[in-house]
Amino acid sequence: MKNDFFDVLIIGSGHAGGMAAKILTEKGLNCLMLNAGPVADVARDAEPKPAYELPYRGFKPPGRIEHVFQSNGFDANVWVDEQEVPYTFDAANPYNWVRVRLFGGRSLFWSRQSFRLSDYEFKAKSHDGFGEDWPISSADLSPYYSRVEEIFQVAGAMDGPPQMPNGNFVPDDTPWSESMQRFIVASKPFDIPVCKQRRALGRDGLASSVNLLLPDAEKTGKLTSIANAVVRELTVDKNTGQPNGCHFVDRISRRELSVKARVIVLAAGTLESTRLLLNSKVGNSSGVVGHYLMDQIYGAGVVCSVPEARNGKATKELMGGSAIVPRFRNITTKSDKFLRGYALNVTSRTGAVEPRNFAAYGAELQRKLDEYYGSAFQMTIMGEVLGRYENHVRIDIEKVDAWNIPVLHVETKYTDNEYNMAKDAVEVGAAVAEAAGFEVLSKNVVPNPPGYSIHEVGTCRMGDDPKRSVLNKWCQSHDHKNLFVVDGASFTSAGWQNPTMTILALSMRASEYLATEMGKQNI
Amino acid sequence: MLRRDFVRAVVSVSIAPRLLLSQQTANPAPPPPAPVPWTLGLNPKTPLPETAVVDGIVETELRFFSSQQMATLIRLSDILLPPIGNKPGALLADTPLFLDFLIGNSPDSRKTVYTGGLDWLDAESHKRFSLPFAKLSDTQADSLLKPWLRTWMNDHPPVEPHADFVNIAHDDIRAATVNSKVWSDVPSVGAQEAAVVGLYWSPIEPDLRADTSECLRIPTHVTAAPKAAHTSSTYPR
Repeated sequence: MKNDFFDVLIIGSGHAGGMAAKILTEKGLNCLMLNAGPVADVARDAEPKPAYELPYRGFKPPGRIEHVFQSNGFDANVWVDEQEVPYTFDAANPYNWVRVRLFGGRSLFWSRQSFRLSDYEFKAKSHDGFGEDWPISSADLSPYYSRVEEIFQVAGAMDGPPQMPNGNFVPDDTPWSESMQRFIVASKPFDIPVCKQRRALGRDGLASSVNLLLPDAEKTGKLTSIANAVVRELTVDKNTGQPNGCHFVDRISRRELSVKARVIVLAAGTLESTRLLLNSKVGNSSGVVGHYLMDQIYGAGVVCSVPEARNGKATKELMGGSAIVPRFRNITTKSDKFLRGYALNVTSRTGAVEPRNFAAYGAELQRKLDEYYGSAFQMTIMGEVLGRYENHVRIDIEKVDAWNIPVLHVETKYTDNEYNMAKDAVEVGAAVAEAAGFEVLSKNVVPNPPGYSIHEVGTCRMGDDPKRSVLNKWCQSHDHKNLFVVDGASFTSAGWQNPTMTILALSMRASEYLATEMGKQNI
Repeated sequence: MLRRDFVRAVVSVSIAPRLLLSQQTANPAPPPPAPVPWTLGLNPKTPLPETAVVDGIVETELRFFSSQQMATLIRLSDILLPPIGNKPGALLADTPLFLDFLIGNSPDSRKTVYTGGLDWLDAESHKRFSLPFAKLSDTQADSLLKPWLRTWMNDHPPVEPHADFVNIAHDDIRAATVNSKVWSDVPSVGAQEAAVVGLYWSPIEPDLRADTSECLRIPTHVTAAPKAAHTSSTYPR
């Protein structure tokens, strides 16, 4: 029997797809959600084990997920296998595409740092002349951020400067540890704001689409979900020219299947949504699909030791806690080395200091580890990557994945703007640490490869001009009124912030607009 | 017809289609040789056999490194992580042979770091002391290794030739030893690293056919980037 004709087809089940499902079904729309992978059941699929019982003693399987630096032998099976779903790039410019296809996507595994963008991002071009302004402002998105923060139980303090807007927080009134206080005092001569971290607490220990969004959608009785549905391409009505569904392949059986819907919502993750548009040859009259790939530079930073915490003297009053240094460059002053700026994640730790922080081995190294235990203090960068047309993805016509779907070729690299930013972050971080009386143990100015942050955004950027952007301010295709892209692909600039809150707020806003327009028969 | 014959006939008519159907669908030929369906009786109360990890029980052969490289790796492992206090060292954890397995299955760029590094270390030893590295004293070995030790941050081991091998091998030797069963069997005290215990995820509805799919017959797309200015860490781990 032919399937029901759905109001909305949602492709992807992570934060973006989960929010779309929640909003649209609560508005009474009949939705079908397709997800490329299976449901992860921790009771069925996972169990505690010591590393020596693992196939590679805790090392990740060699060669399988080479570009997922975050992976290890315990979680190797939750990431997308790079041999099963390859992607290509020039050897001189590697790209780390970090993917999860389980139901819930990467919302199952994220750091939960939760920030709003400010008008320093939304109106970045107006501020410094580079790139494009978003077609929306902080004020447009603020009400949606507030609702998202409520759902995700974002903890934070109302201590943000204008470049880090405050929100609807679960109050964080924990006191700073002494080491953090010393860092704050030492930062003042550098005009560096130090704020409490902002982190989604979620519910019952999880802050994911699968526990915070999808249950609400399922409660309506309006959501149908299919797992292991690898979407091959969007289908187009040959009479109207509008997208009207998709072809997909069952991941296990290889059975080819199709569904129809009035509206398509892409939420497969920035690069998978873009890959689908490119493979489908849909929505790209501007020629901008795939271009302006951005993320944030990670990997540069400084590891220090707090001398007073060594030799067993670390206490919870002295050590512990974390802070965020929001972007402080190019706000009220202008750097001659780079545009935009970076944030620093600051952490005071009570556990072991990693052996690589000492140029020693054997018994000498063990003495160092004993002495420095409990005294680690570190800073790591989150820096904005500029949106450049030449940083792009396209279809590699010579390679296919395990389901014979053409793969993506990624062509992107960092420029001196990003490298200078990383150097500045390490210089400033080390200077503040030394001013605070900390010992710098190791530092690194080289960013990890693009993609590492798992904050890939852009490639279907939004804008008012259909010739220079893919989506309008509602995440709606300029070409097709019934096509929406609600994940990070819509970003016009990357900002320094973890993009999750913005993706959620944009998906919520777009979905409410979509429901309203469908109610008015405009779509 | 007698009554019992009638009943037998009715029962036969009512059962026969089900038997036929079950033969066609649930139990295709040949019929199961066992008297009950194969998996009947397995349930959550079924006792699970106890199994052991292979460490400390089995022997393995050298499969990747040359015997000379392995001799160098054994000495290097013993120097970088000897028994300290109550904890076993790298040799008791069979770390060199584990690395023979791990590196031998790794991408070429990782293999090259090790084979090139071990050969270089042995050559330096011959040059400086007219001895293979495997025969060096602790002091002699220290004079070769110490100049190449660096401090570094996660994912960014040194890229300088020789320093890359020494620091990467040191990190791998420590990880393979700390994660071994013999290390785990001895409780850690103070700042001694404890063997990692974590949540292990099994393959989730694995796509077995992917192993034979067309895409896997294409040589790997992953190539190590050249070491150049602004190059990110490319050492595959």
